[in-house]
Amino acid sequence: MTRESRKRPTQPGRGSLPLLLPAGAVFLGFFFLPMAGLFLESFRLYVPGSIGSSANAPLTFANYVELLTPAFASFFFETLRISLLASLAGLLFAFPLAYWMTRGLSARWRAIAVGFFVTLMFLSVLVRTYALELTFGAAGPLRPLLLSLGISPNGRGYIETLVGAGLLHYIVPMATLTLLGTIQNVDPRLVDAAQALGAPAWKAHLTITLPLCMRGLLAAFLFAFTFSISAFVIPMILGKGRVLFISNLIYNRFSEIADYPSGAAISIVLFAVALAIVYVMSHQVLKRWK
Amino acid sequence: MGGRLLDDGFRLLALVMIGVILCFLLTPIIVTAVMAFDARAYLGPLPPPALSLRWFAQFFSDDYFLRGLSTSVQLAVLSVTISLCVGVTTAFAVERAAFAGKEVLISLFLSPLLVPPVVTGFALLLFLSHLGLINGFARLLCGHIIITVPYTIRATLAGLAGIDRSLTEAALILGATERRAFWDVTLPLARTSIVSGAIFAFAVSMDDVAVSIMLTDANTFTLPVALISSMRANFDLSIAAASVMLMLVTLTLIVILEKFVGLNRVIGQGVFRS
Amino acid sequence: MPPSPETVIEFRNVNKRFGATTAVDNVTFTVAAGETISLLGPSGCGKTTTLRLISGFENPDEGTIEIARESMVGKRPYERNVGLLFQHYALFPHMTVAENVAYGLKHRHWPKAEIGDRVREMLRLVQLQGFEGRRPGQMSGGQQQRVALARVLATRPRLVLLDEPLSALDAKLREELRLELKQILTAVGSTTIVVTHDQDEAMSLADRIVIMNRGRIEQQGTPDEIYMAPRSAFVAAFIGRTNWFHGRLSGAPSEGYFRLTTDAGTTLAIRDPGAAGGEKRSICIRPERIAVTGTEAAAARSGDNVLPGQVVDVVNMGAELHYIINAADGRIMVVEPNREGARVRKGDGVALQFRAEDCVVLPQDAA
Repeated sequence: MTRESRKRPTQPGRGSLPLLLPAGAVFLGFFFLPMAGLFLESFRLYVPGSIGSSANAPLTFANYVELLTPAFASFFFETLRISLLASLAGLLFAFPLAYWMTRGLSARWRAIAVGFFVTLMFLSVLVRTYALELTFGAAGPLRPLLLSLGISPNGRGYIETLVGAGLLHYIVPMATLTLLGTIQNVDPRLVDAAQALGAPAWKAHLTITLPLCMRGLLAAFLFAFTFSISAFVIPMILGKGRVLFISNLIYNRFSEIADYPSGAAISIVLFAVALAIVYVMSHQVLKRWK
Repeated sequence: MGGRLLDDGFRLLALVMIGVILCFLLTPIIVTAVMAFDARAYLGPLPPPALSLRWFAQFFSDDYFLRGLSTSVQLAVLSVTISLCVGVTTAFAVERAAFAGKEVLISLFLSPLLVPPVVTGFALLLFLSHLGLINGFARLLCGHIIITVPYTIRATLAGLAGIDRSLTEAALILGATERRAFWDVTLPLARTSIVSGAIFAFAVSMDDVAVSIMLTDANTFTLPVALISSMRANFDLSIAAASVMLMLVTLTLIVILEKFVGLNRVIGQGVFRS
Repeated sequence: MPPSPETVIEFRNVNKRFGATTAVDNVTFTVAAGETISLLGPSGCGKTTTLRLISGFENPDEGTIEIARESMVGKRPYERNVGLLFQHYALFPHMTVAENVAYGLKHRHWPKAEIGDRVREMLRLVQLQGFEGRRPGQMSGGQQQRVALARVLATRPRLVLLDEPLSALDAKLREELRLELKQILTAVGSTTIVVTHDQDEAMSLADRIVIMNRGRIEQQGTPDEIYMAPRSAFVAAFIGRTNWFHGRLSGAPSEGYFRLTTDAGTTLAIRDPGAAGGEKRSICIRPERIAVTGTEAAAARSGDNVLPGQVVDVVNMGAELHYIINAADGRIMVVEPNREGARVRKGDGVALQFRAEDCVVLPQDAA
């Protein structure tokens, strides 16, 4: 099958438009209109004690202004901080793992390893989170060990680390699988050539393999980071109410206070941040590493 | 000399990191699987002194979990069916056409993947409430449809991209109209991708928490929502038993995926591409 | 007077542009019933676009395409009854061989009862009896090509298009299948157009060759005409191997021969100076038309050219011997059949001898 024959454009389908109607209806009704409604709700005034905003509530920026306070900002930055650390750590672990799977394993073992990671990714987030809480949590079997090491399993630092670990448990398999393809596209003979020219292996990888994988690394990071900042279950279970991600904040506004406008405002901010990150990374940074 | 030392040093470091991360990934799973068979009635330190199926029995006799399970399965089957119909037709329509805004349209259809699930659920809740739709199951169905459709669209698009144009042209020159060529050639060859999209959608629907938790009501809830409430209220090992059951379901799905589609295609299809 | 064979396809003044590029530039040719022609040229010459215009996957910007005197304007590929053998066969991987071959028959509404017989007949024609139940993925390249051919011929198309039919096969297989292909096409009596960049394919399969370059037809003719009487430097260089001499016409003709003085000062006798304006000419002489002799003066007839040279390399290709010789005008290649081994060795001084009649005279242009 030639590459040319794959790229030939067909004449525009005449019957295309009606085929797009179901999707149009679904996306309009279940996504675009609701999001527009959410946007609108975020500008409504909330009267404490009621459920959501009343029908004719005046428009206001108050919900957004409230987010500029240090209290909210600290949630925001905590989410970003833990997400960033988890994403970076995830890549740091995933890269050697992916490299070893690509270059160090036979095809059969690689297939088994791939199966293992895909299974991990498919595994319910609840199962993984519960497993982590069970194993590493305050009530778990590691409790005596942690106490003997002077670590308090209820301490804030430990809980933050645990949330990060929870994120890591999804990020590492995902990043590893993404990087498999990336590393496979790098010709191993390039590193051989570098070594024949006198560079030690570590330098060869640093100057050759790593830059050639930059695109894949950035894509994996992007995926990991947007996943992390949007995380809900992981911080909810492992954070034990002490570490709250933005998604948890939104849920609290909704379920505990019924302050829908504020929840809406936070949602819009989170959505905007996610979009901005995707845009910045996809267009600006990836362009640099063409 | 320094080069070799660093080389060996880095190599050792890499191996250690690989070992650590693999342990980290596996240990919680193994611990959970073991503890699910713990005979004790409380959460005690490892290793369990005796094994029993009591937690499984407790899980299966708990009406709360079983109702959640039943709702989850119904939702998954319904939403995946609808997602498939919508997603496959959309992917075919978009793939065949060649017009200026095509990339934008595809991004638009995949955009729900970028939105934090809580936000999706919240927006949908407000909208449906305004419309007066209060039936819990219907609301959950809407939510599950919108989170699964991007997966069916993406998988089908990837599958279509892999079909050589010359096969469709061969059909045309042999006398088949565009419509017949679609049924005879394009659809059968895209079948495995469509199936993998369906399996992904199924897993996403069964596993969803954030959207479901916003749309749930007192009478209608999914299994993950039930589990999470249970976890917050009473952190015991019945959930470990539930976890083992879910692990088995996942394994089954993976085996089906491998048999029908081949896992290499799953990776290659760029499911993990952003 | 024998009736002229009917024209199966007439391609007249066809233009096709893609954006700023003109892929097909005022191309005109016809193919008569039972004829096999080849569209030959380097990649980008427009032959593939021409193929797609005939089969209906592209539409011309200007010009007419008529098949059996029927205009093909606006006709979709499935309305043309033209057969197309794809370069990489395009066999449907999810169907059996029988289903592949029957596909065209089904869609041209052959009665069900006849389809089975026709499929068997076609498989017998390509010597794949018994392969009905196999799948393309289980077959070798050569077998796949035969299935593709059976599929194309099954519906008795008015015109058969072959897109680089032998390019996907290795050298040995190519030779075997070339003859088989020709025999099958003759047995079926089909009118065929072979599109290729490979001159061996074109020369061996086609009755007439149409050489294309940059969207235009450079020359049409039988393989012999193309080879022995190329009308441009491009054609001369594209087909076979050539030796070149560049120079000016000089002096008056004598005894029916004209004279050309090359840039290196050699004088050559030629027959027909050609009608091009000016005196500059390029002479092309095929390697097998040159004889290599010892430096003793050979009995030369008045129209013969004799040049001194030195052997630089002797290549034994098995069936042929190639001598590379340095002469005043540059490197000359001589090819002779290997009857008794090489007659000269590296370093020998030799005389190159060739007749004026064998010199092809072309205008000297920056082709």
